[in-house]
Amino acid sequence: MLVLHDSDLTLRLGSLAILCIYSAVILLLSGILLLRFIRLAKERRRRNVTAIWRPLLAQCVVEVPETLPQLKPRDHLVFLYLWNHCYESIRGDARAQLNELARRTKSDQFAKQLLHARRLRRRLLAIVTLGHLQERSIWNELVAMLRADNAFLSLVAAKALLTIDAQAAVPLLIPVISRRADWSPLKVVAMFSAVGADIAADTIAKAACQASPEIGSRLIRHLAATQSQQGLPPLRALLREDSPSDDILAACLFLFGECSDPRDAATVRAHLSHPTWYVRLQAALALGKMGVEEDEPLLITLLDDEHWWVRHRAAEALSNLPWMTAERMTRLCGSLATIESQEHLLPFIAQSNVRKAGSVPTASPRLQTS
Amino acid sequence: MDPTTNHKPTVLMVEDEEDTASLLKFLLERASYEVVHAKDGRQARELVDTLSPPDIILLDVMLPFFTGLQVLAYIRNNTAWETIPIVMLTADGSEHDITRALENGANDYILKPFNPRELTSRLKRFLSPSA
Repeated sequence: MLVLHDSDLTLRLGSLAILCIYSAVILLLSGILLLRFIRLAKERRRRNVTAIWRPLLAQCVVEVPETLPQLKPRDHLVFLYLWNHCYESIRGDARAQLNELARRTKSDQFAKQLLHARRLRRRLLAIVTLGHLQERSIWNELVAMLRADNAFLSLVAAKALLTIDAQAAVPLLIPVISRRADWSPLKVVAMFSAVGADIAADTIAKAACQASPEIGSRLIRHLAATQSQQGLPPLRALLREDSPSDDILAACLFLFGECSDPRDAATVRAHLSHPTWYVRLQAALALGKMGVEEDEPLLITLLDDEHWWVRHRAAEALSNLPWMTAERMTRLCGSLATIESQEHLLPFIAQSNVRKAGSVPTASPRLQTS
Repeated sequence: MDPTTNHKPTVLMVEDEEDTASLLKFLLERASYEVVHAKDGRQARELVDTLSPPDIILLDVMLPFFTGLQVLAYIRNNTAWETIPIVMLTADGSEHDITRALENGANDYILKPFNPRELTSRLKRFLSPSA
């Protein structure tokens, strides 16, 4: 009897366990099905909104229709993605029509609500939208976002500020750019390119002057990408008045070479004998791009530098001088006193000969990096 | 060939991005063009092999499977298509792509983001009798 009792209890416990497992499985499956259903419903809704609004947005680029379909609050998010994409695909006065559409669909108000959403994606969407709409009422909130820990959020806020009012945004952005090590200089340059190369160059140069050597030198190196010379005056002043770090100095010399303004030639020459090797290297490279005939002996002297890279770049700079030919380099090579200095010239003589023969397309030795 | 006459000029539009394609299609149809759309480089090449030549080609540079530059080379190697004007669509700042496209037989380029009016005027230029 006792054995029977025990087995009955075990049977009961086993049945209960099986029931629990089955219930859990059914619950889990129901959950999965529910999630799948919600996802499909969302996807269907997204497709429907896209099907209605994509052609309408295209039409609005030309003219906003008098009557617009009703936009439900739950569809507004999808609409904003479509609207922003369309806005960023076009330029010119057609954007004004899209702004009108956004106001008529009350997208500005919806975006302002999204500005405080918990999800980062939604906040980013709101900032971008309100930036496009040049919504001045959120100016202070955007300024506060410049201090956000998230680099992406702060960069998007900075871009929106520039879009709303570039003149007012620039003085605010200079100290931020100089402080934020997590902002990619490339992104900074791209952000400013939308408001004009000159503003970009001037702002970034001023920010670089205030920044730590690490951030400043990175910013200066990317100034060349703005293709504007407006960044040069603040940097010249920095070199004249302060004694900048070697990193800043090297970056400035790199930029002087890229811009090749004859006014900077004297500064470049003065740094050919700098005690830090990478400053001498950048001076040599810059002189290869902007030097005159009198600079050739200076570069030849650097072929005997104690540092390998300086000798190499001096040889490269010599080969880049506009009047330099393979024959002239060969003669120069023969006149050099040391084997080390001759060795550095040989590959550039070979390159020059190959270019002259026209057997391979011209490949600028400037593309090589140290 | 003139968009103002009854004959609608045909544009082969090669663009992979759906939103941009929809916008371009609307603008081109509004300007009285008949639009044939290829969604990627592979489809564009298939159309080159099967379709009669269009009046003009609008070709994006960044495409799946084959890039716009590869499609451009393919078109220029096809005798029936080699003289069709090709206008490249390229991102602002991609000077390298523009240079390569023009060197390889593209007739013009339009930068993205584009001005809708400029787009239709540029295409019209190639279809006018004086072009």
